[in-house]
Amino acid sequence: MIFGRHSVLKRGCSTWNPNEVPRAEFESRLAAARKAMAERGLDALVIYGDNYSFADLCYLTNYFPKVRGGIAVVPRDGALSLLLNIGSRDIPFAKTLTWVDDVRASNQVGGAGAELVKEKGFAKARIGLVDSGRGFPLPQLEEMKRALPDVRWTDENVLFEPMRLKKSVLEVHAMREAGRVLRGVVDGAAKFIQPGRKEYEIVADIDRLARDAGAEDIRILAGERRLQPPSFKQSAEVGNHWAVYLSVQHERYWAEAGRTYILSGDAKLQGAYRKAQDIVAGMTAELTPGNPIAAVDNAARRQLGEFYAGAAVYGLGNGLGLNQWEAPFLNESDAREVGARSIGAKDLAENMALALRVVFESEGKLILFGDSFLVAASGSQSLLGK
Amino acid sequence: MNGEQEYRSRAAKVRQTMREQGIDALLIFDAGRHNFLRMNYVAYLTDFIGVGPETMLVFPVESEPVLFVTPAWDIPRAKEESWVQDIRPFKEFWSLLPKVSGEIGLVGRESMHVALHDDIVKALSQKPVNAKDIIENIARRKTEFELERLRKAAAIADAGVRSLHEEARPGLKEYELAAIVEYRMRALGAEDNFGMVVAHHHNNALHPPTDRVVQQGDIIIGEITPCVGGLFVQICRTVVLGRPAPVVLEKYALLKTAMQLGMDAAKTGAPASGVAAAINGALIEAGYEKYCRPPFMRVRGHGLGCGSSAPGNLEDGNDTRLEEGMTFIVHPNQYLPETGYMTLGDTVVMTAAKAEPMTRSSWDLYIKE
Repeated sequence: MIFGRHSVLKRGCSTWNPNEVPRAEFESRLAAARKAMAERGLDALVIYGDNYSFADLCYLTNYFPKVRGGIAVVPRDGALSLLLNIGSRDIPFAKTLTWVDDVRASNQVGGAGAELVKEKGFAKARIGLVDSGRGFPLPQLEEMKRALPDVRWTDENVLFEPMRLKKSVLEVHAMREAGRVLRGVVDGAAKFIQPGRKEYEIVADIDRLARDAGAEDIRILAGERRLQPPSFKQSAEVGNHWAVYLSVQHERYWAEAGRTYILSGDAKLQGAYRKAQDIVAGMTAELTPGNPIAAVDNAARRQLGEFYAGAAVYGLGNGLGLNQWEAPFLNESDAREVGARSIGAKDLAENMALALRVVFESEGKLILFGDSFLVAASGSQSLLGK
Repeated sequence: MNGEQEYRSRAAKVRQTMREQGIDALLIFDAGRHNFLRMNYVAYLTDFIGVGPETMLVFPVESEPVLFVTPAWDIPRAKEESWVQDIRPFKEFWSLLPKVSGEIGLVGRESMHVALHDDIVKALSQKPVNAKDIIENIARRKTEFELERLRKAAAIADAGVRSLHEEARPGLKEYELAAIVEYRMRALGAEDNFGMVVAHHHNNALHPPTDRVVQQGDIIIGEITPCVGGLFVQICRTVVLGRPAPVVLEKYALLKTAMQLGMDAAKTGAPASGVAAAINGALIEAGYEKYCRPPFMRVRGHGLGCGSSAPGNLEDGNDTRLEEGMTFIVHPNQYLPETGYMTLGDTVVMTAAKAEPMTRSSWDLYIKE
């Protein structure tokens, strides 16, 4: 996985348009979650999310934490509640981002969360804990569990995974929008990447392209010989070669792309970049419903040959959606790197979304190409459009 | 002092405290959630800010440390940016861990997930003690090395304020204005920003920007927090588009008075709560006692982490004494019924005697007619 330096605050455009993603979408997701809860004999769920990893929390509530984390308490019957580590003055704004009516604030999500669980009558219940982003601060989780000694906790980190693997119609639309924003960034970036400019100046330009287009967040890593996050240390002047990894969050959903800008016209490097694009195209050809996910990895392995191991260090692909990295993963090693227990699905299915990428060195310089795709009935479709 | 000397000096201080406390090794963790509200202990000791979900510094008292990093492709950057010689993929942590023996301290529990903690306890056959105070206490006074980065961040913050004033205009969406401010700061080298820019004729609170279109007559409130070298400097200012109503001028003057009283109370050796009391005093005297509590305000300032977030929140009950070298923000940001929420605040550094602002922007209300 490529990851990217996590931003301290989700400070891009923060809105929810219920006309585009209506409450009924979330009620449908809630119904599916409750069916899964019933099958597992769960009375309630406690779902944690923070601004690093909010996928499961957001999937049900549409809320995504801006700085610190929070929980949703989801009874098998009855109203949901959100308990967020925000100030009470922030509640009205938080409510503009979610359909959940009961939004509460506390800087002690563990202790106050336990009180909320008790208030809802679950002090002696069987509760599933969902923390697939593994962000629930340990002291707070310990406090919650201490205050609820009679609760029977079960780990339900994968409860939402089957629901989120295949994107709904509205999710596909949202991901195409994220792809459209990213396409604009990728196309617009080219004019900023000029020899002699400082790397952080170019990063500033690219960041603004995304934010002007309404992105909620963006990850940028770039460099000539390796990928680097934005840093004041990144003060070198760009030469004739710059590889850029870009990931944009728009209306909660992520899209990813990788590009290499070869300004020298060097034929060897141009050829290497075409090779990277061909390899991704070969992987993309395997993105058909019913095909084993391993076929995508195998396609990369075949084409990369001896360079496979080096490229695999960056991850050759992964599922994409409310998280930058989610199931399906191409192999167990990638899944383990982000704490997932498995690749999530053996076979591809229609409306899965994946980011695919190839990274290798040529002439001592980094070559990167990647894109985001939807598995459609007719084959793969780029989320960035053509 | 160059970077390596600075970080070796920090390491020496940590080792000294470890010896005093009988700790043989520290496991120092970061989850890639770099956040100014708490320390990034790995970055404090290595100057490396990880991008992956698991970074662990194994720090023995008598031998060289080992840094374990995810993702593995980031190891060359870690080697270049850090003084630590031995840097390995995180998955190799598990083969080293059973060899770590003696009294073991854990730093970074707050960002550690339960599964990782349980696996560490199992591998060690002991529950490590929470040792974060070893680093917190060393870090609470910023060094000249840190202040140099903070001064750079402060200059960038001032540029952000200038940008907010110069570029704000009717017709922009809030998020576009926020992007303009951030662009100015990133183009000067800011690597991150805790930035909120909100515009309304009557703001209820700060929050991330929306798609609301900025209007003539709006009061624009900004909390801008650029990051340089992992260290944050925050500044809060208010801009009015058009001639402000007399009541806005009157109430903003109250914020300035409160700010000055807060600064005056920030004497070295004084309690952090004293700053809050001084700010609240100005507002109480003006008849706003009931507004000196949430939801009308939050705190009167706070530490800025990565280094240390000492002295914590400037609020009642925080008896932490202000020490030379501490940096924190003083901000009497306040909702008032006549004007809505307005913002004013500066990051300060404690000198031998008192707080000195690190930023230079005027405290005046910024008016753009």
